[in-house]
Amino acid sequence: MGKKRAIGGIAGIFLNEHVVVNAAREVRASGFTKLEAISPYPIHAMEEACGIKRSVIPYVTFISGFIGLALAVAMTYFISVTDWPLVIGGKPLFSLPAFVPIMFELTVLFAALCSVGAFMAFCGMPKISSAPPIHKDLTCDKFAIFIPENDTGFNFERAEKLLKDLGAVEIKKVMEF
Amino acid sequence: MGSSHHQELKISKFEAPQALKTAAYVGVFIGLIGVVFGLLKNPERMWTSYLVAFFFFASIASGAMFFLAVSYAAKAGWHTSIKRLAESFTSYLPYMVVASIVLMFGFGYLYAWDDPTQAHRMTGGKAVYLNPWFVSVRLLAFGLGSLAFKRLLVGNSIKQDQTGDVELTHKNISGSIGYIAFFAIFFTLFSFDLLMSLLPSWYSTIFGIYAFSGAIQSTFALLAIVVVYFKNSKFVSGYITVEHQHDVGKFMKGFTIFWAYIAFSQFMLIWYANIPEETEFYLMRSHSGWLGVSFGLLIFRFIVPFLALLPREAKRNDANLVAVSILILIMQYVDIYWLVYPNFNDGVPQFGFYEIALFVGFAGLFITAATKFLTKNNIVAIKDPRMHESTNHHVTY
Repeated sequence: MGKKRAIGGIAGIFLNEHVVVNAAREVRASGFTKLEAISPYPIHAMEEACGIKRSVIPYVTFISGFIGLALAVAMTYFISVTDWPLVIGGKPLFSLPAFVPIMFELTVLFAALCSVGAFMAFCGMPKISSAPPIHKDLTCDKFAIFIPENDTGFNFERAEKLLKDLGAVEIKKVMEF
Repeated sequence: MGSSHHQELKISKFEAPQALKTAAYVGVFIGLIGVVFGLLKNPERMWTSYLVAFFFFASIASGAMFFLAVSYAAKAGWHTSIKRLAESFTSYLPYMVVASIVLMFGFGYLYAWDDPTQAHRMTGGKAVYLNPWFVSVRLLAFGLGSLAFKRLLVGNSIKQDQTGDVELTHKNISGSIGYIAFFAIFFTLFSFDLLMSLLPSWYSTIFGIYAFSGAIQSTFALLAIVVVYFKNSKFVSGYITVEHQHDVGKFMKGFTIFWAYIAFSQFMLIWYANIPEETEFYLMRSHSGWLGVSFGLLIFRFIVPFLALLPREAKRNDANLVAVSILILIMQYVDIYWLVYPNFNDGVPQFGFYEIALFVGFAGLFITAATKFLTKNNIVAIKDPRMHESTNHHVTY
């Protein structure tokens, strides 16, 4: 995620969704913690099998939404009371119901834009990599589990045997990922 | 999380707790006392309490039908293991039809349009639209129409428990689309006729959606309570999980926001334009005792449930979800009460014997109907072709 240096390792190619979920769970149970699962589509239960913790993006969304709300209150107050007081329809200068739509929109705008921004930051996007793909079918109908060489207790033979035992149909040595 | 460890799928026959059955019968009895006593002593107060309680349970039964219909039409799979619980709510519909016929006897106490001396308040085409006969016909059409759709959708679902025929699921799609159209038109008219016309000079075109948003929000609140109960009960294991509870909670939260959105849309346009015949409605609810109730709705029907349902864990926590659901159900009652009562006593909100008696009376009928339904049928639609989707359902984060 967002690392500059490309990292090598080993990848096992799998043909079946259930096998790869189970394999991810077993690989993690055997002591590897930095594994990556690669799939053409999102697999339910994979985040739990890979031990991915819940993202902090929802908190970013909540806080930025709140900031948007506070800014909207400040902005409407400043414009209609301090900067350019204007009586409209005989209503008070600071008429909360009239400004609620603005507050709502700015809350949503801030929350949405900051969520996208946080998502891109956490994923290290935009990431333009020249590394060759592990396997061209990984965007189509195959799955892979990648164990990086800097993982605790990484040993090529051990990792290869583990992946084969878990049902990998093909083992690939990956130079950079 | 933990969804990979599936429990064994098992159901047994549902037996309602004796205390609940007794409470339901006692409730119906108290309700009957309230009706008889009210008719003799204070018929207007009795009929207003009747209207609030009647609308509350009619909303939930129709809301459950709507949930089922939307799920069929969208070919949803996640709700399959809890759909029988929503179906149990619709078993109240026959009682609703009877109760709406009873309500017709109270028109004279509730509605100005039933009083010929008030004819001057019915401007434009209102005199025709709010002719008591025409209102009664619409009320019956809503009740009988809902009943017919219930027989189709729920009937097919129960038939499938025996035959396992996949065709029944396909058949329900067109029935559901029909119900959604029927519901959109007739529920709007239902809320116009029973609630909005209490003040015949006032109108708001968004009123039907307002009633709808509250109805669906409270339907999910009741469904959440029932789902939590069955998830932890001995009658069913493996089928109903925290994942279903989470999704019902999400729906409930979504409709909490939707209710606030619609309530505010109605309020802001009327407040901004400030046209006397429209402002009248909010004016009645913004002084003396009613102002507190109005703010209570904003705080306890939107702000508190919104924040209390926001975190993921809040929807997966039984105690929290049930507490919020109860709050929403109470606020749905307060909301209908807030729509009805200011038209009758412009000043201090009153709450006492009649309101409680009529509410527990209707609640007793509802609980009796729902528990009988669940005792008679399987509590899970075991042969539904989408069951595997539901038992493997998993909410990602």
